[in-house]
Amino acid sequence: MNEKEERMLELLSDQAIFDLNKEELMELEQLKNQFPDWKSYATFELTAAAIGMTDLKMIQMPEKLRAKILDNANNYFSPEVVISEPETKKSFSSLPTETVGSSFAETEKRPFWQWFGWGVAFAACALLAINLWTTRVQPQPEIAKDTKIIQTPTPELNAFQKRDQFIATTSDIIRTKLESPKGTKEISGDVVWSNSQQKGYVTFRGMPVNNPASETYQLWVFDEMQNDKYPINGGVFDVSENGEIVVPIDTELKIQKPKMFAVTEEKPGGVVVSDREKLVAIAKI
Amino acid sequence: MAQPILKRIASGEKRAVQECITAYGGLVWSLALRMLPNSEEAEDAVQEIFIEVWKNAERFDEEQASETTFIAMIARRRLIDRLRKENRKPNIDSLEDILAEPENNEQDVQLCIEAKEAAQAMKNLRPEQRQVLHLSIVLGYSHQEISDALDMPLGTVKTHARRGLIQVREDLGLGDQENGKEVTA
Repeated sequence: MNEKEERMLELLSDQAIFDLNKEELMELEQLKNQFPDWKSYATFELTAAAIGMTDLKMIQMPEKLRAKILDNANNYFSPEVVISEPETKKSFSSLPTETVGSSFAETEKRPFWQWFGWGVAFAACALLAINLWTTRVQPQPEIAKDTKIIQTPTPELNAFQKRDQFIATTSDIIRTKLESPKGTKEISGDVVWSNSQQKGYVTFRGMPVNNPASETYQLWVFDEMQNDKYPINGGVFDVSENGEIVVPIDTELKIQKPKMFAVTEEKPGGVVVSDREKLVAIAKI
Repeated sequence: MAQPILKRIASGEKRAVQECITAYGGLVWSLALRMLPNSEEAEDAVQEIFIEVWKNAERFDEEQASETTFIAMIARRRLIDRLRKENRKPNIDSLEDILAEPENNEQDVQLCIEAKEAAQAMKNLRPEQRQVLHLSIVLGYSHQEISDALDMPLGTVKTHARRGLIQVREDLGLGDQENGKEVTA
């Protein structure tokens, strides 16, 4: 490697870690022109990104922010859909969305097709005005007496979205890590629970797929106010595919002071009292 | 094998956008909270980052890096730009935090293979290289800020950072090893 090539490598790594000043940027551009295959060195940014993820504590994104991002995405990819046809939006965003008022959204440059979208919307408004004039303002032969309000059906959230929404909107969340007992298949995840709402979710990673015909999984909640011999049933569930799953905690009795959540493998339909022979996962508070 | 989400976004599949937010929203949000001073700023930044992700989806090369690393790269660049533009300090509680050895939260390093390997590669670095890289990349400090915090000449800060980065890049298999070695020698 010659001196110039070495200097280019230095500047590329500096650019990935810190910033380059104007002179350095110009120097780098000149060097890039001299070494057309400079891209073979251009993985410093990726390396820095990988380092940047070390020691990162993962925090769930608030549901409100997710909705804003989806709204932004709608605007970015197909603004005319958002403006003229809210029904179509559902296929893109299954979550309720709201108007974005961020300075970022306002400062985005709009290409021609986005302006075209506004034009279409304007034309639609004009047609609507004409329609209103001819159907509402003009005398009508008969006034409908039994009108019904037709509401747009609320999109059904999946378990992940419900959990995210629950986390974002609940103030007394208890969160604890889920582990598998030693010597069993490694399962990880977490439990979120709210005493005020008497509601929670368990997230599992690595949970084995079960055969519902021969066994099922059952959730249990251990309450400090309850004898440990009789934990409270949190519902039964089956796992049909590998990967991350979210299960709602469904208790029939009020939980006063939870101290542990557990999952056992039981016969189909679940049991009233578990013999705890097949303990699958636990989450201590 | 399923097509990467970013490829699907680039080809105009709108459903992939939602999947992308579900898969990487937590990552981007966590990075923003770590580097920016408050959650309001982080919210703005995360929205900007995802627009950048949509714009750059077609640039993703699955043979070069994972989607996670690619998105983290976009996020990091945007976050640093924000910090630098306003000349703001990264989100650090105290100097003690800065000078402490990087934490080792194994349970949180479950993002992708590169992140795990980067954590391991960082352990193999010399302490001063590791410290400088942690301050600059993980915490977003400028070379001048690191120089001040560690009472280390600016040139030395840069040298440690470069050598550390080149070493990690080699360990991750992201670079041309021969070229990297010549510089680190």
